[in-house]
Amino acid sequence: MNPELGQDLSLLHLIWNASLPVQLVMLLLLGASLMSWWVIFIKLFALKRARQLTDQFEQEFWGGGDLNALYQRISSGRESVCEMGRIFEAGFREFIKLRGQPGQALSVILDGTRRAMRATYQRELDSLESHLSFLATVGSVSPYVGLFGTVWGIMIAFIGLSSVAQATLAQVAPGIAEALIATAMGLFAAIPAVVGYNRYTHDIDRLANRMESFMEEFSNILQRQVTKAV
Amino acid sequence: MRLAADTPVSRNTDKRVAGALALGVHALFVLLLVFGVSWQTEHPAPVMVDLWQSLPAETSSPRAVSHPDPVKPGPKPVPKPAPVPKPVAEEPPPKAPDIALEKKRAETERQKKLKAIQQAEAKAREASARAEADALQKARDKQTEQKKQAMLRQMEADELKQSMVNEASANAARAAKQAEAQAAGARQAALSQTIGKYRDLISATVRGNTRLPDNLKGNPQVRCLVKVLPTGDVVSVRVTQSSGNAAYDAAVVRAIEKSSPLPLPTEREARAAFVPELSFTHRPQE
Repeated sequence: MNPELGQDLSLLHLIWNASLPVQLVMLLLLGASLMSWWVIFIKLFALKRARQLTDQFEQEFWGGGDLNALYQRISSGRESVCEMGRIFEAGFREFIKLRGQPGQALSVILDGTRRAMRATYQRELDSLESHLSFLATVGSVSPYVGLFGTVWGIMIAFIGLSSVAQATLAQVAPGIAEALIATAMGLFAAIPAVVGYNRYTHDIDRLANRMESFMEEFSNILQRQVTKAV
Repeated sequence: MRLAADTPVSRNTDKRVAGALALGVHALFVLLLVFGVSWQTEHPAPVMVDLWQSLPAETSSPRAVSHPDPVKPGPKPVPKPAPVPKPVAEEPPPKAPDIALEKKRAETERQKKLKAIQQAEAKAREASARAEADALQKARDKQTEQKKQAMLRQMEADELKQSMVNEASANAARAAKQAEAQAAGARQAALSQTIGKYRDLISATVRGNTRLPDNLKGNPQVRCLVKVLPTGDVVSVRVTQSSGNAAYDAAVVRAIEKSSPLPLPTEREARAAFVPELSFTHRPQE
């Protein structure tokens, strides 16, 4: 048979000839995929940096240096500060303030410090987890969106089939092929989003654990200082 | 804590780098799909057979020669090994004047080529035939025995039962036409085969696009005159012979318009049968 009569089933051709709802679904999925990859890379860089900075801060903190000097350096804002550093800064500032006021009981000072650190901890955790819900949404919804596009495309293909006298496979095949592209795109958007979401929630959990244990240990250090001073 | 400053500027570069990487991932994937996966598939076309009345149509011009058509058997059984054209006088008149009109252009083009072939190839044969004719003219005056012999020779050459052509000039013309037909026979067969194949293709395409009206009864035939561009694009469709069912006529016209561009042969000679006008006969069923 003449090759020019064979139906062109190239990918771009199929997408271009798809019906409007299917094309809209594909566009939506492409956007979701682009956004989720963007978020994946942003989070990758952010979490990598957070881990590095946290390691450096812990080394510095447990290295036996002067806590006052450390606090001065961090609060001056000249250096990049990790989440743990900000928790330390908030706690230490609150501690200095409460200690400066005369007649404060030890428990009051420590409670205030702990509350200040917990507030910062929540804020930092929130900023770490930002956009992660987008990944979760893309991961769970885009297969369904792709499936919707596929079902719609196959529906159109079969409706078109009902209007011809002789139904051949060649009349449905392009419609079904173009419809299945929607499912493929849905899965393409969903799989990296789910993997990224799981990976990053795990990473953030580990960072949060480190921050919580740091808060406990820092509270102990402050308590020791106060009792020593008294 | 001597890392690069975690300032808004570095966050922005982060975002930009992330965006570029995301785009890169997608571009890579698309490239993989487009070039890595072969989506080209070969579809065997459904085999359909249509009888085309306009294909063997003959004009009544003096140059017209009947060509052995493998698709349609002639009204008289012609010996297969050497298909010899019948005389013009015996040719049945054209079936419908519109067919003749439609075919006229293609016919005249073909005739021109045939003429050239004749002039080129049958020159020597014609010369010998002329000499033979002269001899026959002399012989006709003298005795009937020579005439008989001449007739016998004629029959031998023709391999036909008929032997009523006694006129020498007619004999010469016949010999020339025979040579011409034999020379063009093979080309003509291939040409008509190509034309038949594309007629089937067009018919199948239009049939696939035809939406039959509900009130259609039987298998009525509708004939349309389709004006086609060399690219295969349909310019206009006109019903020349209605099926009696207006809805079906309209459906066929719509189907032909929907089938644009029609598949056309790439060879110029075969395409001449379709461009610029093409007669299209359609039935709901085969």
